[in-house]
Amino acid sequence: MTLLVLGAFSVALTLLGFLVSVPVFKRLTILGLSLALLTLLFSWSKPFAFGPYQVDGISQVFTLLALVGALWTAGLVRTRRFEFYLLVFYAATGMHLLASTKNLILMLVALEALSLPLYALATWRRGEGLEAALKYFLLGALAAAFFLYGTALHYGATGSLLAGTPGEGPLYALALGLLLVGLGFKVALAPFHFWTPDVYQGSPTPVVLFMATGVKAAAFAALLRVVAPGAPEALSLLIALSVLIGNLAALTQKEAKRLLAYSSIAHAGYMALALYTGNLQALGFYLLTYVLATGLAFAVLSEVSPDRVPLERLKGLFHRDPLLGLALFVAALSLLGLPPLGGFWGKYLVFTEAAKVGQWGLLILALLTSVVSAYYYLSLGLAVFQKGEAVAAPRPLARGVALLVALALLLLGFLPGIVLPALAQGG
Amino acid sequence: MVVLAILFPAVFGTLLLLGLPRALGVWGAGLSFLLNLYLFLTHPGGVAFGVQAPLLPGAGVYWALGLDGLSALFFLTIGLTVFLGALVAKVEGRFLGLALLMEALLLGLFAARDLLVFYLFFEAALIPSLLMLFFYGGEKRLRAIYTFLLFTLAGSLPMLAAILAVKALGGSPTFLLEDLLAHPVKGPAAFWVFLGFALAFAIKTPLFPVHAWLPLFHQENHPSGLADALGTLYKVGVFAFFRFAIPLAPEGFYELQGLLFFLAAISALYGAWVAFSAQDFKTLLAYAGVSHMGVAAFGVFSGTPEGALGGLYLLAASGVYTGGLFLLAGRLYERTHTLEIGRYRGLAASAPGLAALALFLFLAMVGLPGLSGFPGEFLTLLGAYKASPWLAALAFLSVIAGAAYALTAFQKVFWEEGGKEVEDLRGPEWSFAALAVAALLLMGVFPGYFLDGLRPLAEAFAKLLGGGA
Repeated sequence: MTLLVLGAFSVALTLLGFLVSVPVFKRLTILGLSLALLTLLFSWSKPFAFGPYQVDGISQVFTLLALVGALWTAGLVRTRRFEFYLLVFYAATGMHLLASTKNLILMLVALEALSLPLYALATWRRGEGLEAALKYFLLGALAAAFFLYGTALHYGATGSLLAGTPGEGPLYALALGLLLVGLGFKVALAPFHFWTPDVYQGSPTPVVLFMATGVKAAAFAALLRVVAPGAPEALSLLIALSVLIGNLAALTQKEAKRLLAYSSIAHAGYMALALYTGNLQALGFYLLTYVLATGLAFAVLSEVSPDRVPLERLKGLFHRDPLLGLALFVAALSLLGLPPLGGFWGKYLVFTEAAKVGQWGLLILALLTSVVSAYYYLSLGLAVFQKGEAVAAPRPLARGVALLVALALLLLGFLPGIVLPALAQGG
Repeated sequence: MVVLAILFPAVFGTLLLLGLPRALGVWGAGLSFLLNLYLFLTHPGGVAFGVQAPLLPGAGVYWALGLDGLSALFFLTIGLTVFLGALVAKVEGRFLGLALLMEALLLGLFAARDLLVFYLFFEAALIPSLLMLFFYGGEKRLRAIYTFLLFTLAGSLPMLAAILAVKALGGSPTFLLEDLLAHPVKGPAAFWVFLGFALAFAIKTPLFPVHAWLPLFHQENHPSGLADALGTLYKVGVFAFFRFAIPLAPEGFYELQGLLFFLAAISALYGAWVAFSAQDFKTLLAYAGVSHMGVAAFGVFSGTPEGALGGLYLLAASGVYTGGLFLLAGRLYERTHTLEIGRYRGLAASAPGLAALALFLFLAMVGLPGLSGFPGEFLTLLGAYKASPWLAALAFLSVIAGAAYALTAFQKVFWEEGGKEVEDLRGPEWSFAALAVAALLLMGVFPGYFLDGLRPLAEAFAKLLGGGA
């Protein structure tokens, strides 16, 4: 159902773009995404399969998160061109497909279907964005090639195109490694993260919100199918590098979007801890709080400015607009994983997964880097309270959503149990 | 009932943060104190007024809150200290709102019957504490904030690893305190688990050498002393050692007992020594706090029922008198705009009421019999002597030193000649004085009444460690 809605709207919106005015088009896009979300919720925990297209728990949880990101982006952006909404919608369709298949070939198609619109979106602002977008495109194409090569070797090693087929031998290990590289690029695991800071800084903030939430969720769905369980040895190296590089590099950043880019690399590392056991509940909850918190941070930044936001420009935001200031503060604390915010339970759950498989070294590294991360999250969160000249002209809707999400993070901190059964049923 | 007592200040705190007038906060703090007093007076023994509901279904985490004798005593002293602060600290409504939120989180911390819930409150209390420092602190507050934050997190994240390990290695089905106690960690792992806890709790005791965040924290906090009083209540290390760290990994504790004893004795002496040479009222109180907590920790580490009883009583009592002294420093600052001890001189002539109140608070801190500091110090001494006579003798030099620094400070501030004229106690400050003195006297003259609820816990603790009666 969800795919039908998304597909039908994709076609219809492509045609309608030339016929209706942009505000109407924006509403239609949001309607399409909301309908897809509703069909998803109504068929929750009801598996469905049609050929290689399989709606199961993984598909539902990650599509939900991706759609939330897409809706947020579409609602937030201020643009006079309908193409923006259309590209977001295409990408959302690709995300759903990526999360809903075990077939590696279909995964590749979906990966491209979600990436191509994003390359275009990254160039939305000409000028400095262009260089970053080119970098994104070139490295992305390379990653897709890795994925394709990995698919071929996977077929050679196991005789199957289905992700998660058990196998052995050096060829199989190589295949998994290549697939990991391809997807690691999309979720921004180090050392495949080089595009992230530049692209996050150079792209319009709503697009970054989409990249940080939707893309990450969808790509983690694929990663979960390909890698877990029986994760290759190399994964621990990627995790260690991600939490180290992400957190240490973020320490010196003076620009909020670049800072959050490095934070997103570190978070990719933390999330990957759940891949060892492939526990959907832990990964899903982490992603849920991460999507809410990081989305909230970017949503606030986009109300301050659609371009770069040096930390200096956030100073005084609380005095200008208490709600937005507090929202950013809450988002930063949740990303840090401080109780009583939702982010804490996310970290708790994935750390438990790492403990279950005895990855004590990684666990301790993750904990230590969390301590380090306190410094930059607090710089970000406290900047809003300092004296300064921040300007923001938020719309009522943006403020309402910010309030809602901040409350949701608080609620998830006190009662994480309210969503966990739903996440578990999916799996 | 516990939930009500925790939510009550939280609701008032939130209302104040939303901009309601300060007077409402004073009422909130007062009613919260009365509610806590009621809980303390009607406490039937055992674990009472509790709730338990699943928090993370499947993972064995419960919203388990309840009051035993120990928690009830801390509910009382926290409620009292916050009320005292709300009465006299001339701060804006939002500041008081943060203070009430912090009170709620501290109450939760003391009522937690589940290890993860304890952790939740332990960490969450950091947020209002940091915000008070950030919004109302002095010039170097950012440095104080980062120091405080990094120290706290450097302790609490290893503690999170220890929490995960306690359940995984001990084999307990849940994080409930009862279940964990029935499955303590054994073998070499116990050492690492205990170390994880010990680091976090030593920072929050604070023990030498991880006390470095404390002086800066107090120097930079708002001169009214409200944030300092709450900071004093937040020093829950001794309690946490008693309730969680030691009973959950006793084998690990044995291995480190000698070192901890030593550190506690050093803290007691070192704190007293620095306090003696302190130029600034708040620095003096900060280091006096280090010294007193060293003594209290010494009692708990002794593993004897008397020592544990004394250490905990000292912790509870010091919340009131040290908190009260910080608030008194705030009163002095408002009158003279300085916190430098050398610049007061002879205030007793013009403000006898203030001087009398200060004398009561200082004497309670010194441990004068009849005031609230004495029973704790005495019992600690008794227990510590049983466990380690030499180190006990060393640590208790700090009690003598305490008399020296406290009385010298009092003499300089209130007695020397040629002082300025200051206003005596006025308005709500009289209520503050009356309530504080009443509490000091009651806790000093009838310690038995307050200790009754603690005794079974201290005995169980000593039995667990194989010592005592």
